[in-house]
Amino acid sequence: MKASRYAKVLCVFLFLLIFSSCYSVRMKVSNGPGPELDDMTMEDEDEDEENEDPARGQLFRKIDTIITVKTTTDENPVNIRDCESGALHTIEYRSTFGGTLLYLATFGRKRKLKVTYVCVKEQN
Amino acid sequence: MATTKTTPRTRWNTLHKNGPFPLKFFLSTRLEKKSLMPDPIARYNDAAGEIQKQLLIAKNQHHGFRSIGARWSMSSIAHQKDRMHFTAHMNIKLSVHATDLHPNSPYQSDNIHVLQCGNTVKEVSFYLENRGKSLKASGASNGQTIAGCISTGVHGSGIDVGSVQDYVVGLNLILGPNPQDIVYLERHSKPALNNAFATKLNARVIRNDGLFNAALVGLGSFGFIHGVVIEAEDHYLLSRHVIKVKKADALALADSLDFKNSPIKIPSQTDAQGNPLRPYHYKVYINQYSNEDTVPVELIYKKPFDPNYKQTFGDPIPFMKEFVYRDLIYLLVKISEKFPRVIPKFVKALSQSILPKEDKVIVGKLSEIFWDAGYQGKAFACSFGIDHTHSSKALKVLTDLTKNEGPIPGIFAMRFIKQSDGLLSFAKFPFTCMVEIDGIIWEESKKIISLDQYAKRMIEVLQQHQIPFTIHWGKNADWGFPNLANHMFGADATKWMDYRSALLSQDMAALFSNEFLKKLNLHHYNAAADPTLIDNLLN
Repeated sequence: MKASRYAKVLCVFLFLLIFSSCYSVRMKVSNGPGPELDDMTMEDEDEDEENEDPARGQLFRKIDTIITVKTTTDENPVNIRDCESGALHTIEYRSTFGGTLLYLATFGRKRKLKVTYVCVKEQN
Repeated sequence: MATTKTTPRTRWNTLHKNGPFPLKFFLSTRLEKKSLMPDPIARYNDAAGEIQKQLLIAKNQHHGFRSIGARWSMSSIAHQKDRMHFTAHMNIKLSVHATDLHPNSPYQSDNIHVLQCGNTVKEVSFYLENRGKSLKASGASNGQTIAGCISTGVHGSGIDVGSVQDYVVGLNLILGPNPQDIVYLERHSKPALNNAFATKLNARVIRNDGLFNAALVGLGSFGFIHGVVIEAEDHYLLSRHVIKVKKADALALADSLDFKNSPIKIPSQTDAQGNPLRPYHYKVYINQYSNEDTVPVELIYKKPFDPNYKQTFGDPIPFMKEFVYRDLIYLLVKISEKFPRVIPKFVKALSQSILPKEDKVIVGKLSEIFWDAGYQGKAFACSFGIDHTHSSKALKVLTDLTKNEGPIPGIFAMRFIKQSDGLLSFAKFPFTCMVEIDGIIWEESKKIISLDQYAKRMIEVLQQHQIPFTIHWGKNADWGFPNLANHMFGADATKWMDYRSALLSQDMAALFSNEFLKKLNLHHYNAAADPTLIDNLLN
């Protein structure tokens, strides 16, 4: 009886832990020349018909990797190299339970990096 | 060198998923890198050469060719079944010097700017703001390309300003693959640039009011619009007010546009005698399913620019924009398809979120007041241009139809625009009231009429009540309705085809046609069109 109550409490705790650590935040620059548009999704053939993203039609790029931070890494930023305009328009950071767990388990040495971004449209 | 990527395809769709439409090839042209070709005019001319190359390929294969911008149009105006060309990477901007102006030019050189076709409204605004300038008007948002705007007649609600095409003073068109097919077109009564500037663009000059006004709203069929010359103005601020007023007063004001003698008054926006000022913009929102005797109206006033406006009035762009959860709307629409009677209740429930709130005054630049809209889901919009004196009558006819033969999951609004010189502009009345219904696309069922049927009935009821009208080229409508273009524009429709026939060769006129044009019977080529229609009337 007592064991099943503990199990329930544990389940609730895990549920809250998993869901509270899974979220995403999207930020965008409100002014400026606007986002780079995606000529591939403009064709629609490669595009998911059910895609309801408010930023549909913009050229999204992704970084989904695990970075290893060494004592010599210092606080160097992760370099984004493929924005021809040299500027970011939108960036979405995603936090996952697995990422949080990895960070804790490796004492911050390994960090899950899941970022989606849109560059500013190159100006001519 | 500019390069074009050509991809075989089977279908294409609009941003708001009003298709899909069949397609053979999708083309996307990118400019040469600035580091390899730093001179913007050289890059512009290099791109013109690339476009001519693509036109030759299309011509040799007997294909149609059509440019698209940001694919915001909900009608099929942008669609071509053979070759569709994406222009958004073609975004050169050229400033003009006093020495570039025509001797008869009435314009200030610092207001004149040459914009390549793929520039979006947002990036043009940013470019102009860095020079202390602003566009005169835009649509309700900023994602459309400049060439797309003028081809479809994008308008805001500038009562005394007009639509986007009304501040265009020159057009650089590519009519075909030959050297003489690059043309710079402007009015002979109001020339902007001199011949030397046109020569820099390798363009022959035609100054001719009639031809220019025909090409201005060209429905994507007057050649490839490579560049658009606009007149900007000094930057200014807009002060936006939303108030709830008696519906009868709002409609009476729509019919008269006599702001001075209207009971609708914003206390801070009056003249020395206490009479209401004439606003820059007037918009009325109507929930056709509500019996309330008040409606929200939006009044926007133009003010001199003040660099400290954000400190005084706050940031016009919210930190986080509120929106209605899209899946909820889709769920409601799905339920509506089965039980249409609930639509009025749903619209009423959502109207709190859809309709603007009577909140604090927002002050900002044009680009901040008409800011990003983003993708709004599977949307429809039907928009009719009516002489403003018929505003309330037309609204009643259309809302009665919507209630009696619907209900339809959408909500009405009215905006007002000055008459345009564009021959096929839907802003053809001295002041045009755009009566529009926006909503979410629904599926036809036994209990709810289809969008096509609804669009057809809208035309029929306006005709039955003898209300002259036009239709927004980029919105949903029954474009195949018999004799529609002739009904809307009369002899001007024939005149437009004559100008087009005189300017384009027969094979290029066919290349720049599409199904949309054919549906409207505007594709006809008049081989006997008067060649003097395209005469240069001023050197």
